[in-house]
Amino acid sequence: MFYRECGVRHTTYAADRALAVIPFERVMLGVLIAAAAAAPWLVPDLFLVSYLTPWLIWTAAILGLNLLMGWAGQIHLGYGAVMAVGAYSAVHLARAGAPFVLAVIGGGLAAAVVGSLFGLPAMRVRGLYLAMSTLALQGIVDWLLVQVPAISGGAQATLLVPRPDFLGLPLATDAARYWTALAFAVLVALFVANVRRTDVGRALIALREKDYAAAVIGINVFYYKALAFFVSSFIGGMSGAVLAFMYYRAVTPEQYGLHVSIMAVAMVIVGGLGSIIGSFLGAGFILLAPIWIEHGLRQLAAALSINISPSTLAHMPLVIYGALITGFLLLEPLGLAKLYDNVRNYLRVWPFGYTKK
Amino acid sequence: MLQQKSVRQLATQGVWPVAAAPGAAPATAGVSTGRVILDCASLVRRFGGLTAVDRVSVKLREGEILAVIGPNGSGKTTLINLITGFYQPQAGCIVYDGRDITRLRPHAIARLGVARTFQNLALFSGMSVLDNILLGRHIHMRSNLFSTALYWWWGVHEEERHRRQVEEIIDLLQLEPVRHEPVELLPIGVRRRVELARALAARPRLLVLDEPMAGMNQEEKEYMARFILDARDELGASVLLVEHHMDVVMDISDRVVVLNYGVQIAEGPPQAIMKDPAVIAAYLGERRFDGSRH
Repeated sequence: MFYRECGVRHTTYAADRALAVIPFERVMLGVLIAAAAAAPWLVPDLFLVSYLTPWLIWTAAILGLNLLMGWAGQIHLGYGAVMAVGAYSAVHLARAGAPFVLAVIGGGLAAAVVGSLFGLPAMRVRGLYLAMSTLALQGIVDWLLVQVPAISGGAQATLLVPRPDFLGLPLATDAARYWTALAFAVLVALFVANVRRTDVGRALIALREKDYAAAVIGINVFYYKALAFFVSSFIGGMSGAVLAFMYYRAVTPEQYGLHVSIMAVAMVIVGGLGSIIGSFLGAGFILLAPIWIEHGLRQLAAALSINISPSTLAHMPLVIYGALITGFLLLEPLGLAKLYDNVRNYLRVWPFGYTKK
Repeated sequence: MLQQKSVRQLATQGVWPVAAAPGAAPATAGVSTGRVILDCASLVRRFGGLTAVDRVSVKLREGEILAVIGPNGSGKTTLINLITGFYQPQAGCIVYDGRDITRLRPHAIARLGVARTFQNLALFSGMSVLDNILLGRHIHMRSNLFSTALYWWWGVHEEERHRRQVEEIIDLLQLEPVRHEPVELLPIGVRRRVELARALAARPRLLVLDEPMAGMNQEEKEYMARFILDARDELGASVLLVEHHMDVVMDISDRVVVLNYGVQIAEGPPQAIMKDPAVIAAYLGERRFDGSRH
């Protein structure tokens, strides 16, 4: 009922392409962004540091992967490696004296080059075969990180991240780190939203749907596949770097291992392929649900004064979490974004549901 | 139905250039005398032991509607795939607008002004009608990652400029009511129209239509025939048409080429083709001495 489109009459083509067409959505977006900006005063520090900051950075990373998987339709099982390349490059740049922003961009570029190289098989293969070749990227990068001390300092080593600053302002407090993550996520989300509504995004979807039909309307399929890998790896590399600077504050090889790549794919699929809001929801769900489930179980056990053994407590959240993912995907294979969309579509015409086809 | 805005009106507003000069206006009966825009010389394409296209030579003049007909499996679609670059011929060459395009890849051929539609539709599902047609403008759009990133200051102007052109095509093909619908929800007749709109949005000089009326009812066929004539007369496209509906072929084509088992068995104006004994034999079979049809 809030989403009503009554009275929305576009008079320009640009207005028709606005990011939020329905007035209520514009208000909601404004409130959300204001609340997000004021979060350091609204939520406890622990919440800010261990939930919100990683969620935002992961969202940016997932937006990059979604561009590749959801829109260009290319599967990628080595996204963690791409993030690792970005993180290690950025940290080494920063240790060599580069300012934070340049280090992050440099990390993104390094990841983009490596990621595009491993996107080359996509010119020839697709589906499972592409999954295998991107998995190779993960294997090679994992191996290099452990075996080449010049990059990682060795298997057991932890590389400390220099204290970042932005245009001379030190980003030392938790709030500053959070705001950096927020600004980064918003920038990436805006970029991806713009890709979606312009020619580049349409071309990516075209090659996902029918590559021969894309070719026949003049889309250079090879070029756009390479572009998708480049952009997605660039975003992934920058996200990996921001994650290292703003959340971990140190880099070790296992932060970006295979399990991270799998988690990233899960975030994209649970959130919804090819959806911006889905990237937010998917990253949030996969990252935070296990924590909250464990928390809830603990409180439940305390309230009912049942004694749950530590090992049960460690495993129960995983069971519930797995069941939740399965349940959500059975309910709506297109992910959380589609669930949101269903509610939105219902509200748009409420209470005149019969007007919908 | 909605009132059809005259395309000539659009042309005089300067939105669409009238490509064909009055002198070169296509003659509905008889043979066009415009210059040759497409020249296929003795094309051969084999698949293993099967020769799908066997020394076929086709010339298409500017402003002409050329129909290619033939029984199932006679090589019509293969011929189209050769012209649009999906297959490479084993022999022969294709010259489009004075340029050899035999070895070019499909997207490069599209950039030269060749648009096509597919027999079993190749719209992009997951996108609206509008986005599909906007993709037809892809070859004319100057957009890159930077114009995309700086959408509000840069990309929006390019998007708007092409949206205007796309809206004219939507107007021409009467697709206004479904503009924002996802293509996968539309009935097949409308989908074929959207695909034609996407092809026309590229403002092609050569339009290749692969059975644009398959699966349509009589009314939809009549609309489609009108749109094809509009594409030729108002937008100045030359048309290569593969079609099974003989009534349509007879009504709108200037010239007909007949293929059978990959071989070109006849060529000429539609009325003459209908009486050609070789064509009748290919379509109906010929009477043998034992009285059986073969």
